[in-house]
Amino acid sequence: MPETPSDFEARLSLARDASSRLKAAIAQVIVGQSAVVEQVLWGLIAGGHVLLEGNPGLGKTLLVRTLSSCLDLRFSRIQFTPDLMPSDVTGTNILVMDGSGGKTGRFELHRGPIFGQVVLADEINRATPKTQSALLEAMQEHAVTIAGTRHALDAPFFVLATENPIEMEGTYPLPEAQLDRFLLKVAVPAPNEDELTQILARTTGKPPGEPERVLTRQDVLQLQALCREVAVAEPVLRYAARLVGASSPEAVDAPPLVRRAVRYGAGVRGAQSLVLSAKAVALLEGRAHVSFADLQKTALPVLRHRILLSFEGEADGIAPDQIIGELLGLVPTRPDAVERAVQGA
Amino acid sequence: MLSGAAWGSAFGALAALGAWALRLGELRPVTLGFGVAGALIGGVVAARQRWTESEVALYLDARLAGAETVTTALHAEAEVTPALAFVVGRATHLLGKADPKRLSPRVLSRVHALLPVALGAIVWVSILPLPPAPPAPPQAPGAERVKLDHLQGLERIEALEHLPGRTPEQDARLKALAEQARKLRADLAKGLEKREALSEISKLRDGIAAEQLKLGDQQNRAGLDAALGAFGKNQALRSAQKALGDGDLTAFDDEMQKLAKRVETSDREAAKEALEEAAKAAREKGAKGLADALDAERRLFGKREDQSQALRELAESMKGKLSPEALEDLKEFGRSGDPKAERQLNEALEKALEGLSPEERKRLAERLQKQLEAGGDSANPLSKKQLEALAKKLSGPEGADALREQLRELTKPLPSDDAQREQGLGDAERGGRDAARGLGALPMPSDDGGPSSGGPPGKSGKSGDAGKPGSGGDASGKGGTGTHHDSGQGDHAGSTPEVKSKELRAKADARMLPGAPMQGATLGRAPARAGETANQLGTGTLGSVGQTEVGAVDHSDIPEEYREQVGRYFEP
Repeated sequence: MPETPSDFEARLSLARDASSRLKAAIAQVIVGQSAVVEQVLWGLIAGGHVLLEGNPGLGKTLLVRTLSSCLDLRFSRIQFTPDLMPSDVTGTNILVMDGSGGKTGRFELHRGPIFGQVVLADEINRATPKTQSALLEAMQEHAVTIAGTRHALDAPFFVLATENPIEMEGTYPLPEAQLDRFLLKVAVPAPNEDELTQILARTTGKPPGEPERVLTRQDVLQLQALCREVAVAEPVLRYAARLVGASSPEAVDAPPLVRRAVRYGAGVRGAQSLVLSAKAVALLEGRAHVSFADLQKTALPVLRHRILLSFEGEADGIAPDQIIGELLGLVPTRPDAVERAVQGA
Repeated sequence: MLSGAAWGSAFGALAALGAWALRLGELRPVTLGFGVAGALIGGVVAARQRWTESEVALYLDARLAGAETVTTALHAEAEVTPALAFVVGRATHLLGKADPKRLSPRVLSRVHALLPVALGAIVWVSILPLPPAPPAPPQAPGAERVKLDHLQGLERIEALEHLPGRTPEQDARLKALAEQARKLRADLAKGLEKREALSEISKLRDGIAAEQLKLGDQQNRAGLDAALGAFGKNQALRSAQKALGDGDLTAFDDEMQKLAKRVETSDREAAKEALEEAAKAAREKGAKGLADALDAERRLFGKREDQSQALRELAESMKGKLSPEALEDLKEFGRSGDPKAERQLNEALEKALEGLSPEERKRLAERLQKQLEAGGDSANPLSKKQLEALAKKLSGPEGADALREQLRELTKPLPSDDAQREQGLGDAERGGRDAARGLGALPMPSDDGGPSSGGPPGKSGKSGDAGKPGSGGDASGKGGTGTHHDSGQGDHAGSTPEVKSKELRAKADARMLPGAPMQGATLGRAPARAGETANQLGTGTLGSVGQTEVGAVDHSDIPEEYREQVGRYFEP
């Protein structure tokens, strides 16, 4: 029996309700950082991975741990260090001798932490590029190849990586290909005075209890499926394409700042991520379609790690956020005639 | 559509305004058509650009704050998913509760005000009188007409026709120059543009310069050097050498006259030899013009010798009747051949002749007869027939007049054709310069706008008032003193009136007058010649270079490192 609009509205309502409960559960542990929590949920619902960047002590790891506690999913944590090996991430085959004490044995797969469902890659930029690359296949294809055997990862698979932008010594900046695998790069801001006061009150007394689990694995998968069903009109898709296209300095309609300060702009995966994130935003707001505003809302976390600055841009201290702001101001959403009519009405 | 019509009519109005500003009166009847055509074209273009459904949906979403609900519903594909069906329902609901009156866009906008304004402007421009024509551009410098009955200086160019040419062709050219000058005078009398007149004068001056003998040019340089070497052998010929080295044929001719009239035979012989040798050397070096001039000098030299010898002999015959001053003049004439001494001797002889009685005239005739018999025909400067006739006349009452006439003949200068020509050409060149200045080509930088002039020459003094030789008046404003032969009754109180000017400025500090030519600027045409500096009028850069100027750069104290550059700069 085909689904009616009423049934869809019910599903939409359930999804909105689930996300509200999830946010409320996280808020029991995490003070403030509502925008960060929101963006992490976009990543979870859109089925993408999230890179959290912020100074030490801002609660990045706690956020991820809390999120995993609220979800009925396997959690694993990888602390990235310079001596971490790829097999430490993916796992390896181990020779297991027969119990009789004879000379025969068999290889058994010893699964690494990547086989979790919510994976925390803590301080990802401290590992060598070789080890960082071990994540590539898992993040893109949701599968791991160990000793020639491909092992599929359980869905949902959600990587949350953290990195520290101020300690550069002994770190390995993520390669562009690796960065592109992250749906969002979320900047974690410092708490304000009120939030800090609450944090102090909450963390210096009796330890808080574990947050309750609000979403099952099935709920998460349903949310991700519903996100894919969200409709996008052609003019909205065109706007996303114009926005991403204008971020490349070779583009005909690229603004002067982009031409001067950008070496490489966002690519196809960036545009896909933009639309997917916008769908998640629409879903969280209880809509079944994407608006221009959804795209504008997700543009910063989606594009900021996909825009590579030129030497001139870096020398002038221009940040990718500044360029994205310029693009949002210059790339029109509607045709000029429509815009004039709207303004004149 | 209205917007298109408004913009079109505005462009039409601009076209009409442009036609009015450009004074295109013939386009005025069609200016209204500009506006109507513009409005029609604009309307058609706008009608072809009507909004698409998608644009309408975007507009509705923006007006209803629908977060692109209507747009998404419009783009629902054939296979309507549950999500799209839900969006369509939302869009229907959204549009259903909206007020259509509030949703419709405004028909009139500020741009539409252009339509009546543009049409009104077209009508206004159509009836407005055309703007006045812009003022004519200022007249080019020198374009004003001048009308002059007499332009000082041209007569000296006209006098070229009387000069003897070196060749028949040059004769013709000199006459042509004179004819051009006459024609210019006639044209000026009728009226002529100033720049044309200046151009004609420039042409004349160039023509004159081309006729002048350029001893220092490339062709004659080697010949001149060789000729100068011939004159350098004798101290008595130094002045002549200098004159020739300066390229001044007139001064050279004067020096030759002086040498021919000297009493010293050795000087005269040396001069004749030098002339012959110099002419030969010049010819060998290819300076034909110079060689011809030197040959002509040599031929005249003998005649001048004879003339002065005759004058001296006549003076010797009348020695007893001459005053002490006249005897001094006779001595001076014999020593230097100075024309001034010759003139004074002549005056003294004329005066002495008036005092001769018939008896004394008879004795003078007898003495002349004796000289004739003693010297023979060849030795005497006067021919035998001349002396016989003179002796015969002296014995009669008409003897005094005949002797006076003979004296004038003897003191008459015998200039060479070349010297005469060069002098005439020099005069003509100066005349051309004066004529150009008279037309305002080279204004004098004085406060009252005109050249200052010296006072009239002083009146002659009384005879014997002063023992010093007299001099003529000059421009300094003082009258000259009379000569000691002057018997005038005037005094020496000559004066020049004061120039009514605050100051007399140097040209370099002259005030620039707007519209006037720059100080020292050359107006008119000045054809260039190879190796010359631009804007040089007259004889060219080094045409008449002095002997001492040759190699001057090499002999100067210019630093060694710059010497070559400076030499190249002054290279002819």
